[in-house]
Amino acid sequence: MDRKVSDVNILNKFTEDFCSVVNKYARYVVVSGFVAISHGRSRGTENVDIMIEGLSFVEFKKMDDVLVEAGFECLYPLKVEDIYKHLTGKLNVRYSWKGVELPNMEVKFAKDSLDDEQFETRGKIEFTGVDVFFPKIEESIAFKEEYLGSEKDLEDAKHLRLIYMDKLDEGYIEDYKEKIRRVKEWGGVLTMSRL
Amino acid sequence: MGGSSHDEQIVRWATFVRENPEKWREQHTTFINSQIIGANEKYEKLKKMPNGEKIIGELRKLRFFGIRTQPQ
Repeated sequence: MDRKVSDVNILNKFTEDFCSVVNKYARYVVVSGFVAISHGRSRGTENVDIMIEGLSFVEFKKMDDVLVEAGFECLYPLKVEDIYKHLTGKLNVRYSWKGVELPNMEVKFAKDSLDDEQFETRGKIEFTGVDVFFPKIEESIAFKEEYLGSEKDLEDAKHLRLIYMDKLDEGYIEDYKEKIRRVKEWGGVLTMSRL
Repeated sequence: MGGSSHDEQIVRWATFVRENPEKWREQHTTFINSQIIGANEKYEKLKKMPNGEKIIGELRKLRFFGIRTQPQ
């Protein structure tokens, strides 16, 4: 595995390698900071966030085994049963390339209707040059502006707005923000039928 | 960092990325890779120090639980 400075972007390669395994077992979307970074945003990060569909323990174990075979390891030495317990307890787990500290992949299971909806609208984005699934760009902007809201997230959203200037569906963003507000009000348990 | 100059910098860079789809990638890759390689080099140095492996194990544990640990 070549991890020297070269024309290969380490973060992109790490993400593509990890997602190529996950893709065999579940639908996923790469979310949060990497959406902006893969669109050229120039800022530091130590992890990439991936959200995957909830899996049974048997399926998760198969995926974890293949991740290990592919050269990844869970950052904290846990048994696969405990990793799974973490994920189903709505906590995140982190993987890295074996023996390498950074970058990390922060994995979480989808937990509410908004998360599930992102699997329906996901797509690959040619502009990024990264062969992974992302949420619809309007959803990423809405999440950053309405839900996450830190200075870093607002700057990420600004970057994405500038990249997609005049191409964004502002109505979609506003509708999605409304869905986020409603899911927040319902404590994240709102089902699609209520949206 | 804050204030208008930082804001202007974000606008300037995003505009460059949008208008130069063939040019931004190389600079961006250098930036991203340098950051990751630099941090990993610091971890490698730490590993060679007394108790380095143990400290790294603790840092991994913290990072696993979502606490930023990049060495300065």
